[in-house]
Amino acid sequence: MRVVIAEDHALLRAGVVALLREQEIEVVAEAEDGEGLLRIVAGHKPDLAIVDVRLPPTFTDEGVRAAIAARERHPGLAVLILSQYVEPVYTAELLRGGEGGVGYLLKERVGDVRGFVEAVRRVADGGTALDREVVAELVQTRGAEGDGERLELLTPRERETLELMAEGRTNAAIARAMVVTPGAVEKHISNVFAKLDLPATDDDHRRVLAVLAYLRAS
Amino acid sequence: MSESVQSPPADRGSRAVSLALALAGIAGLACTIAWGATGGPFWPAWVWLSVATAVALLVCGVRFADAPPGPQRRLALHAEVSAVLAANMFFEWLFGGGGTFWPIWVWLGLGVALALHALVVHRDEPLRERQLAERVAVLTRTRRGALDVQAAELRRIERDLHDGAQARLVALSMQLGRAEARLDDRPEVAELLRDAREEASAAIAELRDLARGIAPPVLADRGLAAAVEAIATRSPAEVTVDARIPRRLPPVVETAAYFVVAEALTNVAKHARGASARVTLRELGERLLVEVADDGPGGADPSGSGIDGLRARVEALDGALTIDAPAGGPTVVRAELPCAS
Repeated sequence: MRVVIAEDHALLRAGVVALLREQEIEVVAEAEDGEGLLRIVAGHKPDLAIVDVRLPPTFTDEGVRAAIAARERHPGLAVLILSQYVEPVYTAELLRGGEGGVGYLLKERVGDVRGFVEAVRRVADGGTALDREVVAELVQTRGAEGDGERLELLTPRERETLELMAEGRTNAAIARAMVVTPGAVEKHISNVFAKLDLPATDDDHRRVLAVLAYLRAS
Repeated sequence: MSESVQSPPADRGSRAVSLALALAGIAGLACTIAWGATGGPFWPAWVWLSVATAVALLVCGVRFADAPPGPQRRLALHAEVSAVLAANMFFEWLFGGGGTFWPIWVWLGLGVALALHALVVHRDEPLRERQLAERVAVLTRTRRGALDVQAAELRRIERDLHDGAQARLVALSMQLGRAEARLDDRPEVAELLRDAREEASAAIAELRDLARGIAPPVLADRGLAAAVEAIATRSPAEVTVDARIPRRLPPVVETAAYFVVAEALTNVAKHARGASARVTLRELGERLLVEVADDGPGGADPSGSGIDGLRARVEALDGALTIDAPAGGPTVVRAELPCAS
């Protein structure tokens, strides 16, 4: 897997690069700003770009805009945004823009090495990795809306399953996180889909997209 | 043993006037009785005039003893004394048998003196008003300057937290994570490291909440219209946003306007379930108009603590916050904020 990273904070950039290297994921190029990101993506054709939201020169949402631009120029490029805060507006823009894997994680999740590496691989493979705070925000917003009352039909375990699915986790990962058997997870998932009136599918990734589409609908 | 009691000045004044009246009455009556015994032209009229003038002057003095000192008191005293003297001149002329109305010259003199005095007193007044107006302008400007500095300072602190303490804690949690990953064979040490990492995460989360309270990222990054769109999207109520703001406003104004909208929409969601709301943002001249109208049941208490906080925020910027919430609705929260940059 070939990864590039855009992060202006040298300490954090070095930390992520070292951590990925230890997990046998190669970081082929590094950039410090949005322009740099577009350059290294064009030059190295990576599978995944890991991008910080706040980058020079504006130190605002430069990273999000650069990531969206990079995906427009290189369809299929997977993007994992790392940020110190959750901004639902940016998440929505990323999910809307183009094909390919998408992730939005809080930076401190990098410390959970196993979870982070799992998310990196998943996004690079075209999957989704949303921070649980992003998901919580989506579920809360959706739950307050007109037909969001359906969410109240879910049992606590089903709701937990829904949230873990929305984070982009596979059935096996959900089973591990909830400490239940894969069979039990399957049961929860089919209940969630029935209660939310979502089209059933066996494909993990499609299921995530269906759940996200449901949560984002308004 | 004697006790000395200091009387209030007004009391002493009225006692002096009573005493003067009594003495004047006695003197006048004595002269009148003497005239009654001797006959001839009614000369006690002159005595009555003198004592009356003296008492009138005394009354003037007493009346103004308690008034606040200053040019206004001097002018009023001058006017009353002039009036007493003018009256005195008139009676002198009358008792003197009429003829050429000579008091007119004295009146003229008194009038000119009084007019000059009034001119001097009132000439100072526009000057004082001008000075006050200038002072108000300076205070308004400096207060605004202080608030701008404060807002800029808060955003700088937020940025420093982001790039400094928060980034270091993130780096720390990465290092702890890397150490933890190498300790698969010593789970009890790995667990210690995981606890430490979770502590770091909690600290990062606290810093994040702190920064969000200063200004939510989307507000600092993209401005008021985008931030209001974001809260509208997140609000459980159906919210339409009509924003026409052609430029980035001063941070302090953006933040105040943002919190007005956020609080108003929170109230809609809390107290008017199922209601829809409309947010209007307009820059009119050098004022920003913020209006949140909902079609809920109305009847909100316009002095709730959330509203008080908003009002303080808005009034600190010399703006005005009004809440119109008749029972039965609709509820309109309106803020006007000066936003000259």
